[in-house]
Amino acid sequence: MVPLPMTQPSPSLSRARIALAAVLLAGLGYAGARPAGGVPALGGLLDPAGGAWALARSARHPARSSALIPGLTAPVEVRTDDRGVPHVFAATEEDAWRAQGYLVARDRLFQLELQRRATAGTLGEFFGPGALEADRAARRRGLARLADRNAERADSGSLIARAARAYADGVNAWIDAMPRSAVPLEFRLLGRRPTRWEPKHTYYLFAQMALTLAYEDETLSRLRVRALVGRAAADGLFPLNSPIQEPIQPNGQGTPRYDVVALPPPGLPDTVADLASRERASIDLALGLQPRRRDQTDAIGSNNWAVSPRRTAAGNALLAGDPHLELSLPSIWYEIHLHVENGPDVAGVTFAGSPGVIIGFNRNVAWSFTNTGADVRDYYVETVDDPSRPSRYRLDGEWKALERWVEVFHGTRGESLGLDTLYATHRGPLLREGARWMSVRWTPFEAVEPGAEFLILDRAGSIAQWLDGWKDYIAPAQNGIVADRGGSIAIRSTGKFPLRPGDGRGDEIRNGSISSSDWTGYLPLERYPFAQDPAQGFLASANQQPVDPRMNGSYFGSNWYSPWRALRINQILRADSSVTPESMRRYQTDPGSARADAFVPAFLAAAARLTLAGRADSALNRAAILLGEWDRRYTRENRRAVLFDRAMTALARSVWDELIPPDERKDPAARAVAYPEEMVLLGLLADSASAWWDDVRTSGVERRDDMLAAALRSGLVSAERDLGPPEGDGWRWEQAHHANVFHLLRLPALSALELPVQGGPSTLGPSPGRGTHGASWRMVVELGPEVRAWGIYPGGQSGNPASPHYLDRLPRWLDGTLDPVLFPRSIEELPPARVRSALSLRGGR
Amino acid sequence: MRSLLGFVALTLAFAAGTLIGWWMVPATAALWGALRPSIGRPAFVAALASALAWACWLVVDVIVGHGTFGVLAARLAGVMQVPSVGLIALTLVFAGLLAWSAAALGLGARDWVLGTGK
Repeated sequence: MVPLPMTQPSPSLSRARIALAAVLLAGLGYAGARPAGGVPALGGLLDPAGGAWALARSARHPARSSALIPGLTAPVEVRTDDRGVPHVFAATEEDAWRAQGYLVARDRLFQLELQRRATAGTLGEFFGPGALEADRAARRRGLARLADRNAERADSGSLIARAARAYADGVNAWIDAMPRSAVPLEFRLLGRRPTRWEPKHTYYLFAQMALTLAYEDETLSRLRVRALVGRAAADGLFPLNSPIQEPIQPNGQGTPRYDVVALPPPGLPDTVADLASRERASIDLALGLQPRRRDQTDAIGSNNWAVSPRRTAAGNALLAGDPHLELSLPSIWYEIHLHVENGPDVAGVTFAGSPGVIIGFNRNVAWSFTNTGADVRDYYVETVDDPSRPSRYRLDGEWKALERWVEVFHGTRGESLGLDTLYATHRGPLLREGARWMSVRWTPFEAVEPGAEFLILDRAGSIAQWLDGWKDYIAPAQNGIVADRGGSIAIRSTGKFPLRPGDGRGDEIRNGSISSSDWTGYLPLERYPFAQDPAQGFLASANQQPVDPRMNGSYFGSNWYSPWRALRINQILRADSSVTPESMRRYQTDPGSARADAFVPAFLAAAARLTLAGRADSALNRAAILLGEWDRRYTRENRRAVLFDRAMTALARSVWDELIPPDERKDPAARAVAYPEEMVLLGLLADSASAWWDDVRTSGVERRDDMLAAALRSGLVSAERDLGPPEGDGWRWEQAHHANVFHLLRLPALSALELPVQGGPSTLGPSPGRGTHGASWRMVVELGPEVRAWGIYPGGQSGNPASPHYLDRLPRWLDGTLDPVLFPRSIEELPPARVRSALSLRGGR
Repeated sequence: MRSLLGFVALTLAFAAGTLIGWWMVPATAALWGALRPSIGRPAFVAALASALAWACWLVVDVIVGHGTFGVLAARLAGVMQVPSVGLIALTLVFAGLLAWSAAALGLGARDWVLGTGK
């Protein structure tokens, strides 16, 4: 205890002490006001009344509060339940969206800011020059510029325009009234202030989703491979149609069909493809588009399925959905219930920034989406008048004016970080690579009213209305599944699928100087992959090829995901004629692996053959015994999944060694320029003497069994080296593999890392690669007399790290459990014990 | 008694000023120093009072936060890569040093204006 000094006249201070005080105050003042050396401004951070500490006070919403939102036409009541989910009771849809904007801003303000800046290419204003390249790529993609234009030109009475305006009213009402203590931590760490939300930012959000879900095409992979092994081999490695046919639209076959054809041997390098692949890679890099890594195969995918009443225990239709995306804190999803008098009564999840519900259910129908993965982006080599400073491009023998504009990039203090002159043809952005110029056409560029369809779906009263509601949807193409209370189920792959001239395929770079290279239109709706109430009694999609090419020859894309998840869920649903919501929940995290079912027997058979031939060593025998003990399940405690996982990695690396550039092959860490899907490898197993089995890095000639044995042996050696003995805890799947849910700024202290998880690559609840992707939302809905639903996502409703709802759902997500979702028809129907806060919203100001 | 009352008043002034912003701490302390209160070691007293004011605010955060403060402290400390206790100490030391240096300058400024400095 420091005693208080006695009362006496204050002595004068020495000059030295005053000088010290001046220096100290200047230093503290600077440290308080400005971030320095990676340390945020301390004043705003440490201030306990309005700084970061004060976030503790706003971590729980007040039991009762009120607020004003300009434009609100009638009072809105909000009740937040014990899961942090707001139930909004409004008189009109616009009022519901205003309230939604307010609530999402309250819980996810930094996420709103970050997402829109990523699309707009203004991250540099928040993060400084380090974000310049990302901003440049975003501006080159031009999605925000198009969104600006669409928002500006939109009919002010259109659904999306009204929704975006109302949503912005709500977001800005929160920003304007937000107490200093509630400013999210991230703004304090970065020393920034939230900026106002504009209606066009909702358009940005959908543009960003298109980037996540519709950017992938196989042109670059195929070109790179063609450059090394020739066209025929590349076409075999990246086939147009899936060698395993288990399509989304049932093809009437009770089992998967294997359309395996012999793989052409590696051919001579193709120098034309080499040049084209380099150009294409450069353009993709400029656009910030990267092909997925081998260990991220299946990372961006999803599952959904629905079961007809005759195959469910209670006689009600059931629907399940789990979109697989990058996991983040806060989650990409925000859960909400919007109840409008005489209007939509809808619950489910939505994106921060998107009015309405994206995946969910109302009183009559439930729905979910998986990504179609359609090929909706094409490249054109353009002829320009001046390769160094073009102003026109050639089309059908005539010069046409290029659209040309200047983008300015700003830093954190508003200073200019750089300028880019950008160009566009009628197709889309025009980018330079060496002496050549290429333009890009992509369906998201053509989405004039992105997101409007989801608002229509929220209102649907039947499957027919639901299907009709998004018939004009453009991008990203989605496999939308729906079930209704009448007992119907349906699925349709929807989005604009371009019609191309010639062979109709989109995996070539086209000649831009002729308009006959352009898309000739879009596939008509009646050709979309579609099924309703099929004889098999269920429908399922898991990013596999949507339709059997024998039934529908339309081009939707190529090199489809290996259908391991589709095989598994179809196998399970075929075997279960009495499905319950509980079994649907269990299936979502089913640890079984169709991939393992396909490859484990091949490893074991190879080892057995080599043993019989007297060519097996003790390591191979031991590895085979250990793998034979595996039940082919990725449960947390499983001690054998790691061996298979490592053997598969080794196998892909050694079999596809021809796809490593020759000058890199001596490097053991070298990777192939692209990896074919594993179903192609599965097909190769039938050809024991294929040239692909030979390891070109050795002097001998290897065959299938040699390579399978070597991969298995390698898996054992690496697992023992890294994880210890096979019976030790190091081999437990939960020790060897983790889920990692990173904070949006990738700050470890705000992330949830190294989480034990059930599931592995290509299981129904997938956890591939580094565990950064997975089921971002799991939902099961039973469409009985009353709709019942269950759901979970990894994280929590609040972006405030002090909130009890920051990551409260994570343990249940890891356990594979689902929360019952409250879906009251009125405030009175909400169990009082489950209400945590009441908010009354009024119009005003 | 007057000293104690003065100390309490100063603490309340710091607490109230912080509602406006952290920079009110040095502003209040400078004013305190310039007024040259009839209290011994005014700069030191200002440091104590500001640290106490911020400590009181932290207690408010703890109470109103209903159990969320500990989680916040742990996560915030993780971001700053210091122990939670260290971050709380840093908060109080920051307030104390701000107040001490500003009060000392206030005192010095007054002496300089009145020509009574050493």
